[in-house]
Amino acid sequence: MKITMAHGSGGRATGELIASTFAKYFNNPILNKMEDSAVVEGSGRLAMTTDSFVVTPLIYPGGDIGRLAICGTVNDLLMSGAVPKYITCGYILEDGADVDLLTQIVKSMAETAAEAGVTIVAGDTKVIEGNGGIYINTAGVGFLPDGINISAANCADGDAIIVSGNLGDHHAAILSTRMEIENEIQSDNAPLVEIVRALKEAKVELHAMRDVTRGGLATVLHEFAVSSGSCMELWEEKLPVHPAVQGFCNLLGLDPLYMGNEGKMLTVVPKHDAETALQAIRGSKYGEHAAIIGEVTHTENGNVLVHTKVGGVRTVSELIGEGLPRIC
Amino acid sequence: MCVATSGEVLKVENGIAEVDFQGNIVRAAAGLTEVSPGDYVLVHAGVIIQKVTKQDNDIMTQLLAEMEDAARG
Amino acid sequence: MDSEILRFLKEYDGDVIRIMEVCGTHTAEISRTGIRKMLSPKIKLISGPGCPVCVTVTAYIDACIEIAKRENTTLVSFGDMLRVPGSHGSLRDAQAEGASVKMVYSPLDTLKYAKEHPETMYVFAAVGFETTTPVYALLMEQILAQQITNIKLLTSLKVMPPVIDWVCANQGNVDGFLAPGHVSVITGSRIFAPLAEKFHLPFVVSGFEGEELLSSIYALIKLRGQGTVMNLYPSVVSEEGNTLAQAQVEKYFTPGDATWRGMGSIPDSGMYLRETYQKYDAGSLNLIEDHVLNRACRCAEVLTGKITSEECPLFGTACTTEHPQGACMVSMEGACFNHLTAR
Repeated sequence: MKITMAHGSGGRATGELIASTFAKYFNNPILNKMEDSAVVEGSGRLAMTTDSFVVTPLIYPGGDIGRLAICGTVNDLLMSGAVPKYITCGYILEDGADVDLLTQIVKSMAETAAEAGVTIVAGDTKVIEGNGGIYINTAGVGFLPDGINISAANCADGDAIIVSGNLGDHHAAILSTRMEIENEIQSDNAPLVEIVRALKEAKVELHAMRDVTRGGLATVLHEFAVSSGSCMELWEEKLPVHPAVQGFCNLLGLDPLYMGNEGKMLTVVPKHDAETALQAIRGSKYGEHAAIIGEVTHTENGNVLVHTKVGGVRTVSELIGEGLPRIC
Repeated sequence: MCVATSGEVLKVENGIAEVDFQGNIVRAAAGLTEVSPGDYVLVHAGVIIQKVTKQDNDIMTQLLAEMEDAARG
Repeated sequence: MDSEILRFLKEYDGDVIRIMEVCGTHTAEISRTGIRKMLSPKIKLISGPGCPVCVTVTAYIDACIEIAKRENTTLVSFGDMLRVPGSHGSLRDAQAEGASVKMVYSPLDTLKYAKEHPETMYVFAAVGFETTTPVYALLMEQILAQQITNIKLLTSLKVMPPVIDWVCANQGNVDGFLAPGHVSVITGSRIFAPLAEKFHLPFVVSGFEGEELLSSIYALIKLRGQGTVMNLYPSVVSEEGNTLAQAQVEKYFTPGDATWRGMGSIPDSGMYLRETYQKYDAGSLNLIEDHVLNRACRCAEVLTGKITSEECPLFGTACTTEHPQGACMVSMEGACFNHLTAR
């Protein structure tokens, strides 16, 4: 069955669609009330975020737009040190969208929300003219325990820079599908809940955290360098990259430093906490390939430097343009 | 110029080779070279442009030493 | 990596030596490996006209855009070309306005699309140097073999020796060339011999790894003043090159004058579809106009190695990666792009 404009009218068709997809799979006491707004419990400092998801293809190796929507939102909240609790989602459906496909996405979103320990408390559906596309907007709310102050500005001289795993998987998976290059690369889309919990329980001094998304590691570290007025110095041989992703990058003239992830994060801690933090991440789901990749210095403030395998030094900027594959 | 990488030929059929680049399988046209499964080849823009000849690890040192010898005359 | 060579390069204190590379991938790899920091300040690495995107005139981009806007027509291209500005915007801009543009990894992918959509005319933006021209020759072979009538080429194909000759004859400020590794795979290292002899300059064919680049730079310093060609990429480069590929190119293409951004027309520096195959050409002849975005732009001089990126008054100020004023900054292989983003 396909989505039509009738599904967006607010009448019976809309009601039936919601009942058979969103309400069925997101099923929870707050949402089930189907009020105009969700009333939830909470106190203290709130962390809030919003995000929109427009990825194509809608289903890709290792995930789909529904899973991605939860991971992206939850991870944003986690990075400030908050515990994610509530998610809202608005779906914009183009007429012609396949209802079975929509159901698969909604189911995946529900499963990922359960994995991440968050509740989808409110939603909205709109239908517009188009070609079967599906887009999702989310908002997320989390609660920030007292005493937590995590910020890129905290990066201090001598701090260790840790990445939670292999670079570039998500971007490589999407590009592989679009360019029809056959490989086993899967998106790494995942909620970082366990990793962040393990870091907090390890009682390390968390200076900064940020998830590595669009623009890749280079872009995020560049933000860190600028915010903290320091230098992020990395060692190329320590950067964890799956061989298939490296091979993919070589093929297309791409650099893993600029390839986006959707389930990896950077953690900056004082040197004396580095090993503890590393073990905490490695012992958590999705953190198996974590590595200490560099340190914060003042060699060239505001910049990211990479000590290359051959012995050179390279200054790495943030991503320029779109990271298009090169032939030349 | 030219981004080209080397991979291993898995099979060749009707002028198209399946080449493995660390787990990425690309179909590359084999119209410019004679290749067989097991060969390492250089691929540019979907075409095999040359077979890679295995060199000893110290080929560079050897070539440079030869150059120095020639210079000394 | 031989530590003696590394030490030599770091401590070199002889006369300043200017080494030019004429390969966009060499430009990009020199940046990526950060080897400049391993060299004595008396060893200068200059970028020459080795970036096919950078040397393409705006008339070509404009022609691509015009084609992409036509009914039932799709322009097919590599990723590199999409952001380069013509006189009124880039292919990316045109795509945003509804023009039909498709990015592929291989020109041969076009065959599949053409067969699936016989009602659409596919025009391939055929840009490249000697490494890529054989790929287009293979495409032509398949078009004919499979009797496909809805693929055409808009060519901007160039060859290296005439432009290297131009640089040496018009500038004379180069002491040695890092010869392009993959061009040499096709042509063989012998194509540089006449140039080496004519100008008494060494040419070293180099691979793309950091170690290979460093060894090649070392060799060029040692061979200074000698009109000789040395092949330091023997795993894929031979003296005569890939003769089968050369024959394929010969079958479909013939040399002709071509216009290079910043250098004007250079005789016999381009390749064009032969008369017999002209019906597969989408208007490649006479694309000579080059529109300059900014009067103060000095891309032409940077491209030919006359000045360094830093010596252009717009570099890093009016001309940055966010608002590039010329091809040297737009292209990821451009000298200025690499100098600004990976100092």
